[in-house]
Amino acid sequence: MSDNSHSTGQPANEDHENIVLKDDTEYGRQHEIIKQKQAEDRERAGDPAEPKVGVYICRCGGNISDVVDVERTAQIVGMVPGVTISKVHTFMCSDPGQHMISNDILENGLDRVVVASCSPFLHEQTFRGAVSRGNLNPYLYEHVNIREQGSWAHKHDPEGATQLAIRMITAAVGRLQNAQPLDLIKLPNHRKALVIGGGIAGMKAAAELAARGILVLLVESSGRLGGQLNERGRVYPSETMASEIVADLEKQVRNNDKIDLLLNSKVTAVDGFIGNFRTVIEGPFGPAGGFDKRDALVGAIVLATGYRPYVPRDGEFLYHQDPCVVTTPEFIQMMQNMDPAAKSFEYNGRNIRSVAFLHCVGSRQLDGVHEPQPDGTLNKYCSRTCCSTILQQALALRKRFPKIQVYDFHRDIRTYGRGEEDYYINASKEGVVFFRFNGEDPPQVERTMDAKGHLPRSRKAGPITITVKDMLTWGEDLAVPVDMVVLGVGMTPSPIQDLIESIKLPTGEDHFLQEVHPKLRPVEVAVNGVLLAGTAQAPMNIQETLNAAGAAAVKAAAMFAHEMVELNPFVASVDSSLCCGEGICVTQCDYEGALQLVEKEVDGQTVQRAEVNAGLCVGCGACVPVCPHRALELNGWRLDQFESMVDGLMADIPHGDCQPELVHLG
Amino acid sequence: MTTSTQDKTSYRPDAIIVGAGIAGMQSALDLADQGLQVLLVERQSSIGGHMIALAKVFPTLDCASCITAPKMSASAHHENIRIMVNTEVRGIRTVRGTHFVKLFKKATYVNFDKCIGCRLCEYACDSEYPDPFEEGLGAKRAIAVPFTNAIPQKAVLDPELCTTCGSCARVCPTDAIEFDQQSEEVEMETDAVIVASGYALNSLSVKPQYHALQSKNIISALTMERLLAPHGPYGRVLRPSDGKVPSSVAFVLCAGSRDASIGVPYCSRVCCMYSIKMAMLLSGALPIADITIYYMDIRAFGKGYEQFYQNAKAMGINFVRGKVARIDPIEDGDLSLHVETTEDAENILQERRHDLVVLAQGMVPEWNPSIGTPVAVASDGFVATPMLTAPTSTTANGIFVAGVAAGPKDIVDTIAEAGAAAMQVSQYLHQKRGAAAVEYAQDPVLVG
Repeated sequence: MSDNSHSTGQPANEDHENIVLKDDTEYGRQHEIIKQKQAEDRERAGDPAEPKVGVYICRCGGNISDVVDVERTAQIVGMVPGVTISKVHTFMCSDPGQHMISNDILENGLDRVVVASCSPFLHEQTFRGAVSRGNLNPYLYEHVNIREQGSWAHKHDPEGATQLAIRMITAAVGRLQNAQPLDLIKLPNHRKALVIGGGIAGMKAAAELAARGILVLLVESSGRLGGQLNERGRVYPSETMASEIVADLEKQVRNNDKIDLLLNSKVTAVDGFIGNFRTVIEGPFGPAGGFDKRDALVGAIVLATGYRPYVPRDGEFLYHQDPCVVTTPEFIQMMQNMDPAAKSFEYNGRNIRSVAFLHCVGSRQLDGVHEPQPDGTLNKYCSRTCCSTILQQALALRKRFPKIQVYDFHRDIRTYGRGEEDYYINASKEGVVFFRFNGEDPPQVERTMDAKGHLPRSRKAGPITITVKDMLTWGEDLAVPVDMVVLGVGMTPSPIQDLIESIKLPTGEDHFLQEVHPKLRPVEVAVNGVLLAGTAQAPMNIQETLNAAGAAAVKAAAMFAHEMVELNPFVASVDSSLCCGEGICVTQCDYEGALQLVEKEVDGQTVQRAEVNAGLCVGCGACVPVCPHRALELNGWRLDQFESMVDGLMADIPHGDCQPELVHLG
Repeated sequence: MTTSTQDKTSYRPDAIIVGAGIAGMQSALDLADQGLQVLLVERQSSIGGHMIALAKVFPTLDCASCITAPKMSASAHHENIRIMVNTEVRGIRTVRGTHFVKLFKKATYVNFDKCIGCRLCEYACDSEYPDPFEEGLGAKRAIAVPFTNAIPQKAVLDPELCTTCGSCARVCPTDAIEFDQQSEEVEMETDAVIVASGYALNSLSVKPQYHALQSKNIISALTMERLLAPHGPYGRVLRPSDGKVPSSVAFVLCAGSRDASIGVPYCSRVCCMYSIKMAMLLSGALPIADITIYYMDIRAFGKGYEQFYQNAKAMGINFVRGKVARIDPIEDGDLSLHVETTEDAENILQERRHDLVVLAQGMVPEWNPSIGTPVAVASDGFVATPMLTAPTSTTANGIFVAGVAAGPKDIVDTIAEAGAAAMQVSQYLHQKRGAAAVEYAQDPVLVG
């Protein structure tokens, strides 16, 4: 690749001199000392060849280079002892950027690589891959974040950000001096899945995995499959009965020889790690259906724990204070249970002649406007499905009882999905009357009073009055008496605190389970091997739920493609020759089973020695400093690496006069 | 054009994916990670789709290049994925469960096996034209690598613009330029297909009353994405007519969706959020500019989207509820917007002036598979998905759909759907092949 064709031609920064802390002679002396020390370190490690470090600095299209002077950074770190190549690229993560790295390793014999770019969360794996393609051990690689921790954080201090970048890179170069090749930890993969939740998400995930030939344990806490969909009638946009969708999925999971279906059962404990989760299921396993516990060993866990409809507080829009105020699920049940031949809508002893639907109840809550939930937080999120549900119900009501006046009070109409806009259009055509309010100014729902402040005697006026500042009539204050109010309630996460604690699952500000990346990895969580399906992650409609379940299933299927699971190698290791078996480290370890004392034969004697379970060790390092004999090290984060890192961090930064290999790239 | 019934090699992928945007790449990766062989077919000269051209993505404000480039790279380097660019799917015929996919490989006039992506040809070429990747704002040569982070990094020659001067061939160090290259039609056999053909934006002129073709300062949403991209055509936000730094920018929502008069009655689902996102980025890039979003309903329905919308409001972006009736170009390249607002009873019909207007055009299907393949489309033109409990199934057995090909959706919903489609393919193949498929452990799950 001859990418080195056009130079950016940026003039050298005027502040260039500021970065020099000592004169050249002084630096030269330091340089020699550091080189000497490194040579001694290498000698001790039995690898006397001088390392060849390549440093690659990313412009990130300008995200970094608009602030950090990357050319100067490259020039200066190019002079740090051990650095043989120092290059800049516009997008290091792009294919040409990666290719340059692997090529340099092969052609120039680099044996250590530093990339200074964005957060390692984004691209550490990317560059480990590029390093591997150069036939270099991917752990002889160091990632430096000069974007989130550099250019973005210090946007208004380019010189400071540049100096910081140089320091961070020299520290990484230092750390690499004592880095050792590491291998992924390979452990058995129990290629079976546990799916928690028997709603449509759980059933879909289980059915897909089973159809792929994978054994599934499907655990549902209630006695019935289908979850929240059991509470629904016809569903948008297909207008099929919810029960048909449930029945179709139920047919796929029942009597399926790949699926163990456990109703009335609960997952009471989970420990272990990807490929090796030990779970305890409590269910009717005992004699005569009595409750008992059984263990299950699975490789992946799909959480399909779903949602609960928001339950308004007592008195919120008169809910639970006036029987004429109901929620959407209650209204749907009411319609479901109504005699199909009914000529009028009778409720609570009244003939219902007007119904108001109120959007965003328990969703899109604003600071200072809405009363917080009992835990002090607001449901700031949109529940995504309520608009279409309300319009579907409003339309159905108008069609069934054309004499009933139907009102819709909304902030925005969010009929975004395929076929959903039609509900809005048709509701308008069928005479549903729309009112629009500002979020800061929600409608008031009150008992209807006459002019003297008494409840009206007449049965004609609706018992409930909604007052609203209506933006469709340019802010007019309107009072609408109605017979019934339907609160369009949103979704809240199911109460699964036990699972959250035992699996150590992250949750978001909205209390739903938190995915790894809200854009790119919506069904994975920070705990490897645990996947999210459906509304446990966020509100979504039926189709989106089924897609999320399919996506969770495919991730599990991919995890099961290999006989072994591969875990990152950053775990503690014990030097048995130094360990005295005192066990101080074991008492410090927070992760059950990760570090234990085992009996070993040493010189014909049985002694105790600490041993690490690589699958359970999280690499926190708590055991390392407590060992009086320095018998413990954390692979990839060894103490001598920290020392050389500090050396790198504290070393004087050279002048920018002499020219190492410095290439400007596209 | 030459035709051959079989590719030269005996390569027979387990699945062929039509389109290598984010949907196609995600499906390909999810299949390839299970050990299945995937052929990813892309009409353009690079994989990456629309996403690689975006500035940042909502609501995380991740730079789009930074999160798309790794997906592209992962697809390109995956041992189980092969990529064909500059290739169109011209038809699919299905015989006893086997799909024969007709692929039209467009001549690139560059031998990809020889091209090393050095770009010497590009620098030697004298024929320049507006760069489609930059939405026509920058310049591109008649022979060029598609864009900086394109995959593959191979030059492609555009015969319409080439003057056949031969400079490129003279500088090419590997003799990769082949002026006599022919387009070729090949037929590839496979067991499963995923349609991930994505979207196009409807045209700027779809609403003639917006006079978009009469002013360079009425731009498409994708053009604004490029202006905002850190590596965009100007490296900063300038208005196209005269290079002025805009001081008053308008976003006109539903400028090509939710509008029965132009045949797009549906919601395109992403325009509200991308407009809010670009408004936020603009207020960072141009701190003193006024930014106004004209909307009917703000549809911030996804995870974290409502909070993003509220943040934009708090940042001082003006949200005006009202449909823009007409846009007229006026003096100095500025624009006059006639708006009916619903907020001020005294002043319902307003004329507002801006110096740059972004139209939030709607999404329409990029490809109509109902011509030449057994896949039916619905009345909205997107692929029909008749199975309620399998939203990625099409009307054709063994052919699935992912992403915007099955209706507008944002990136995260596309990623989930791409995974779901991949899962359907893998279980479909498993069922189809029975005993030949991977066998997993079959001892009981429950123990003790």
